[in-house]
Amino acid sequence: MILRTPPPKKLRTDTKAAVEESSPAGQLLIYEDPPDAPDQPSDHLLCTYQCRQMVKSEFFDALSSAEKQARDYQSKWESLNDNFGKVGGYQSQQAERKQFREQFLYAEQELAAAKGREQALQEQLLKEVNDSKERFKKQIQSYSELEVKLQNEANLRKKAEFSAASSQEKANTLEGQLNRLSESMEREKKSLQAELAQLKRESRHSLSRKCAELEKVGSRATNAEKESELLKEQMEVLRKHLNECLHQKSEAEKKLATLTFQEPNSTDASILVKHLQEELRNYESEVREARNLKLSYEQTELLREKLFEERSRRERAEAEMSKLQELQHNMKSLEDELSAWKLMMKDIPGVSSPDDIPAKFASLQKEVLDSTMRLGELNAHLKQKEVALDEAQLGKQSAEADAALAKEKSEEMVQEINRIQSMLSMVTEERDKLRSLLEEYKSTKNDTGGRRVADEALLQELQSSLANKEKCIKELESSLQVQKEINNRQREEIKLLGEKLNNEARRIKSLERESDRLRSEIALLEAKLGHGDFSSANTKVLRMVNTLAVDNEAKQTIEALRSELQKTKDKLKAFEELNNQSGDAVKSVDSHISEKIMQLKEQIATLEKREERYKTVFADRISVFRRACCELFGYKIVMDEHQRPNGIPVTRFTLQSIYAQNNEEKLEFEYESGNIAILPNAYSSQPDISQQVGIFIHKMNSIPAFTANLTVESFNRRTLS
Amino acid sequence: MASKTVAKDIITLRGSAAIVSEFFGYAANSILYNRGVYSEESFVKVKKYGLPMLLTQDEDVKKFIANLNSQLSEWLEAGKLQRIVLVIMSKSSGEVLERWNFSIETDGEVVEKGVSKEKSDKEIMREIQAIMRQIASSITYLPCLDEKCVFDVLAYTDTDVAVPFTWIESDPKLIANPQMVKLHSFDTKIHRVDTLVSYKNDEWDEQ
Repeated sequence: MILRTPPPKKLRTDTKAAVEESSPAGQLLIYEDPPDAPDQPSDHLLCTYQCRQMVKSEFFDALSSAEKQARDYQSKWESLNDNFGKVGGYQSQQAERKQFREQFLYAEQELAAAKGREQALQEQLLKEVNDSKERFKKQIQSYSELEVKLQNEANLRKKAEFSAASSQEKANTLEGQLNRLSESMEREKKSLQAELAQLKRESRHSLSRKCAELEKVGSRATNAEKESELLKEQMEVLRKHLNECLHQKSEAEKKLATLTFQEPNSTDASILVKHLQEELRNYESEVREARNLKLSYEQTELLREKLFEERSRRERAEAEMSKLQELQHNMKSLEDELSAWKLMMKDIPGVSSPDDIPAKFASLQKEVLDSTMRLGELNAHLKQKEVALDEAQLGKQSAEADAALAKEKSEEMVQEINRIQSMLSMVTEERDKLRSLLEEYKSTKNDTGGRRVADEALLQELQSSLANKEKCIKELESSLQVQKEINNRQREEIKLLGEKLNNEARRIKSLERESDRLRSEIALLEAKLGHGDFSSANTKVLRMVNTLAVDNEAKQTIEALRSELQKTKDKLKAFEELNNQSGDAVKSVDSHISEKIMQLKEQIATLEKREERYKTVFADRISVFRRACCELFGYKIVMDEHQRPNGIPVTRFTLQSIYAQNNEEKLEFEYESGNIAILPNAYSSQPDISQQVGIFIHKMNSIPAFTANLTVESFNRRTLS
Repeated sequence: MASKTVAKDIITLRGSAAIVSEFFGYAANSILYNRGVYSEESFVKVKKYGLPMLLTQDEDVKKFIANLNSQLSEWLEAGKLQRIVLVIMSKSSGEVLERWNFSIETDGEVVEKGVSKEKSDKEIMREIQAIMRQIASSITYLPCLDEKCVFDVLAYTDTDVAVPFTWIESDPKLIANPQMVKLHSFDTKIHRVDTLVSYKNDEWDEQ
């Protein structure tokens, strides 16, 4: 052992006893393991941070006390050395001093080693604390990440459930639409078929009616022709009668003339009477003829009206024939649609007739229902499995966490064991060394005798204090153990509570899912209710037949028929009145006919004369007016009445300029209800004329300007040429 | 303060059927007036359910509703009526514009055994009054019916009901993508009537 300190000074013998007495605690404390240390379990060596701190503090106290003892020993040694210097030889004293120095140095080194170990322990403890902090932080971070992941997965699951619910809703709505479409198709088909049959019947009826009406009209026309021929024959007969009467009259006159020669005076009156009678008879016959003519005229008028009606009926029949053609066309199109539907039906497997379609739809609906039920069951299974998976994952995570904790604990324990073993080995080495030192010290100190007894007493005291401290350490360790057990129990309780929490959270989630599903079902059902959907297995929809619209239509038709009836009744009354009037006229014609005829004839004569006078005056005036217009405006105007194809009468004016170079240079205008329009012809379609027409008439809307411009141009042309 | 005891009246199946069919008659008249299906001049005010109610004077409509109510009462007493729907359609195109849906839940025990229930008439009248007020205020959110409209009534019955000769089976006259508004309901303890109106989306609202 190399000495690093100078040898201490020699101490006097007077101070030996004082030193021996005053150093009860100056000696080193030896930590000895109990003899059965290796057999005991290593749990009692495990201690918490506080125990270690307590041990450290006690160790430090022991160290300080050991230092004190060492100082005391040093002082004692110095005193001893002094005494030895006084009592014995120098070399033996030097050797003893050397030994004591070496022991002291060794003790100092052991102190330093113990301090170093303490520092190492502290550093290790600090490291462990930091590691545990870091581990806790990492665990918290991992927990937070797991929670975020859980939330994301829960959101994804909710979204998936919502999308599944919406897709189910869509499927249900599509099914409903399909059902409705199929029902509407069936109804349309039925209605179309009924309409087809009805149209066919109606067309047949209308055809037969039209044919019958045509036959009637034809027969009436033939009858009318026959009647007119009969009337003509009657007219001829009457004419013959008239001629005969005239002939007879002339013969009678002749006879009268011959008779007048014989009896001139007395027969004048009789002749006159006869003449008058004959005239009367003639007038009567004329009256009868007139009556007959009137009747025939009225009959012809009636026949004409009837013909007109028949013609109109024929036109209506022709129009309805055209409509029939349209109906036939519609029928064809409907038949084509029917054939297309039948072809579609052929494409549908398992359907051979329209009656099979509802059954097919029902079977498809059943299949859809079964598939949706299976889907629902599969979804329920899936959800159960997902829940079980979640539980298993949670269990796995908890087990992994426990395993990690246990691993950590085991690693910690192993590290502590290693540490403690190293401590033990070091401490045993120290003990052995100290023991050897002690023995050497004892052997060297045997000579001194009395002073060593005090040292031994000090040692024993130190050992007893060590033993006490060991007892304290053991008590602390036992309390530590108890604390550990309490902590373990609390951890287990915390674990159980955590598991309960997880179970409750899972139950809450499942309940929330069920509530969402029920809410979606309720919303679906309410939507279906509001939409009007129903199950045809349990429900049917009825409505009243005699709706107000049908009643209104019937009323309208009844009113129309009533108005037509009233019109026909009025017509009949008018006809009857006319017939009565003709009858009355026939009765009074005998008395007033002659006077009226004379008056009418006179009036006719005067009117004819007046008309001729008016015509001549009008013609003169018109010719003067036309000549003046021609001279003043430069155009000869010719006015004509025309009728358009649609039957509207229009007045046409043809203008020819007085400066026209040929007869083809004519402008035509049409007058209708205050509006004049130019008519295109060969002359007006010439480029220069049409340009003027475009500018003056179409753009500026002024015919006078156009005609004036044309007049000036034609005048210039005429004069220049 | 002394506690008020509500006097309850005994309600039989026939009485409940009469209440429901009468309610439908007045509700139909109110709807026809508020939606302008018939001109205002053809309606007259009467007092009913504590409110001034409007009844049509058009003989055809009156007769139609009277015949309808008698049949509805018969079905209600048999417990076969599930729903009554008043449909408003365009006269020119026949398109369904509104559906006033009256869903009916019948107590099966009363129909089978003929027992009677107890409920205050005032309470029932109060509930019906709330529905009538809601029908009157529905013009604030229902789209305007600018064109001439006609109405029809559909009855959703059980499949085993014998169809009278004045009635025929019909399609449900649905509206595609309707807007729906749920109104109040009333309960006679034998029949529970829920009211809901579904209408075609207005083009202005869609824009």
